[in-house]
Amino acid sequence: MASVSDIIAEAAYFDGETARSHRVTVRGEGEYLSLTPIEPPGAPFFWRLDLIRAQAGAGRETKGPLILTLKAKTDDEQPRDPARLILQPGRMADWVRLSAPGLTARDVRPGTWGRVIWRTSAALAAIAAIVFVILPQLADTLADRLPIEREVAFGQLVVANMEQYLGGLDGSLTCRNPAGLAALEKLKQRMTEGQDLQYDLSLQVFDHPMVNAFAAPGGQMVILRGLIDEAGSADEVAGVLAHEIGHVEARDPTRLAFRAVGSAGILSLLLGDATGGSLIAVMGDQVLSASYTREAEQNADTFAFRLLNDTGIGTAGLADFFEGLDGKGINLPEYLATHPDTAGRATAARAADGAAHAPVLTEADWAALRRICE
Amino acid sequence: MNNTDTRTAAGHYAAPDGGVFSLALMTGFLSLITLGIYRFWAKTRLRKYFWANTRLGQDGFEYTGTGLEKFLGFLVAVVVLAVYLAIVQLVLFQFGLYFVFQPKTEAEILMQLGVFYLSLFALAPLLLFAQYRSRRYKLARTRFRGIRFGMQKQASGYVLRGIGLLIATILSLGLLWPLMTYKLEAFMTNRSWYGDTKFTQGGKWTGLYATYKHVVFGLIVLIVGGTASAFAQSEALVVLSLAIGYLWMFFGYLSYSVQGFAYLTRTKQLGPDISFQASPKTGSVLGRLILGYLFIGVVGIAVFAIGALVFGGMIAAAVQSSGATDQTSITLVAIGVSVGYLIFLTFIGAMAMAFITEPIIRHIVGATALVNVGALDVIRQRVTDKGADAEGFADALDWGGAI
Repeated sequence: MASVSDIIAEAAYFDGETARSHRVTVRGEGEYLSLTPIEPPGAPFFWRLDLIRAQAGAGRETKGPLILTLKAKTDDEQPRDPARLILQPGRMADWVRLSAPGLTARDVRPGTWGRVIWRTSAALAAIAAIVFVILPQLADTLADRLPIEREVAFGQLVVANMEQYLGGLDGSLTCRNPAGLAALEKLKQRMTEGQDLQYDLSLQVFDHPMVNAFAAPGGQMVILRGLIDEAGSADEVAGVLAHEIGHVEARDPTRLAFRAVGSAGILSLLLGDATGGSLIAVMGDQVLSASYTREAEQNADTFAFRLLNDTGIGTAGLADFFEGLDGKGINLPEYLATHPDTAGRATAARAADGAAHAPVLTEADWAALRRICE
Repeated sequence: MNNTDTRTAAGHYAAPDGGVFSLALMTGFLSLITLGIYRFWAKTRLRKYFWANTRLGQDGFEYTGTGLEKFLGFLVAVVVLAVYLAIVQLVLFQFGLYFVFQPKTEAEILMQLGVFYLSLFALAPLLLFAQYRSRRYKLARTRFRGIRFGMQKQASGYVLRGIGLLIATILSLGLLWPLMTYKLEAFMTNRSWYGDTKFTQGGKWTGLYATYKHVVFGLIVLIVGGTASAFAQSEALVVLSLAIGYLWMFFGYLSYSVQGFAYLTRTKQLGPDISFQASPKTGSVLGRLILGYLFIGVVGIAVFAIGALVFGGMIAAAVQSSGATDQTSITLVAIGVSVGYLIFLTFIGAMAMAFITEPIIRHIVGATALVNVGALDVIRQRVTDKGADAEGFADALDWGGAI
């Protein structure tokens, strides 16, 4: 052996075969650490310094004893020899820290990364299958079977949650200007009279600058003030509402809620997030951006065209709205923005038109509606 | 051989007070910024810390589990559980829509309660399964004096027994709870090994009533006192008996957790020769709980106030400078608030680990001892247990908390 260190220490040694504690003398010798049994005395054996590893959690980071082992081919969770050498804090432990180059190395068995990739892919594939295939079907089935009164109760809860999400307390965002409410009621009457709708529509305006409107399950519809502010006429608002009524009648918001609930369960499973903090944000965003399928959007448009024609409101307002948003470059509500072809929808709306028989609201009522939040 | 050495090796928790705080905080934040992926490594590092600082006599325990194997086990569990959980979630939601909203009649309220407990019960088999697997994994990754612990594969038997005992406990209105506690612990103990030597659970299930009786007394005060004073139409008496009953039950439950554990430890044996002592004090545990919660409460409120001011100001400034009032800014604020909330929870979690969990572990370990150390010398190594899923199921179901 080359250089023999003058640092010597006594240490406890466990041979990995029995639980018996052995005393050994430990000493650095060149590339090796020599371990000499004391009781009963025995011949020294040698640990290669570059194969020595220290257990984390014990003396490796803190002041406790250093637990040493050797890198070796075993069936254990890590390729480690079962024998252990326990060095109490002191010069010897410090010397080992300096002299053993691989003390903190993580040794991974060959083939491990392949397993990581394979299992990650399998898990992702399973989740994708659930989120994109099983959940939507299940959600549709369950949504279709839900009795309407339950749907309405659920919708009220969703609206209350949305209000909190938008920064209001229960009922505090609702706009209550009497003249405005009367105008809103006229708008609703005008849009629903003679229509055979399965839901009693409930329509309210939230005092919020966002340009948006959303439909919650069970016919609860909310217009945000920003939409009325940006709209050029009552007909434009009516056009957007007709589209939302289309979603309500097709039970799209209910399906979406079911889907969101199922996805939320999976998301919290993946994130290990019992607190639900991230879920609140995700769910709120889901309702607002309401990313319905393209088919659902088209059906809602078709429904809106028919309703606007039947009620004599005409589709020009909806077309104006699409065009206005497109041209002015305002931030689009997501449910419009997710569909790139806004101009195309405007064209479709114009094409669907029979001419308007009468504006949906009188000028006076429209002015009242615009002041509903004052 | 030194089998005549009948000395006692006293338990001792070696880490400094609150020593785990920085580790818990750092690993908590790493878990947060990796969207939870790091949590497997976080749990591993915390366990290594707790195990290494738990000493019996001269020797510390060693935790050899790895974060990677936990992650891989979790991926397996995800494949199995995702379908199950998504469907359970949807069905429960469906039930919820029928019953949980605005129950109007008493029958509806009862039905709602029934659905709630039924849904909990539906999860019981999975939780029992995860519980057994988690114990088995932890034992398989624990070493003492270089020798592995281990536990036989028998999770399915545990689940069956557990469900039967759970039903018995519910039907007996909780009176048979000690039977469940004892039988389940005995089932696991009698399948646990240290090296080539088996553990056995002694004692009797009725032995647990010495401490469980206080839970029963509390329940009796609650029911009898409540009914009697309701008949007497005295509101003050109702409130008094409710308060006494609940408090008695609470302390009874705490005492049952601590002393029940102590009883089950004292009546365990390792091989024919090694036994254990355990004399933790319920009062000490209670004191640490109260002190810990008070401390965390005070610090938590201060940190929350400061954090809300600073963080809220930052969010407001960011929103104003972008000049946006549209959907994007709403989403940004919501995300910002959620992130702030999660950071705060991580902080509180680390505090709880350092000022509640660690002091209680310190007390329990310090009150435990192994009798007849000499008999350890002849215990031989056992083969390694690959434990295919690590504790993926327990992780996926969030069983057992951080350690």
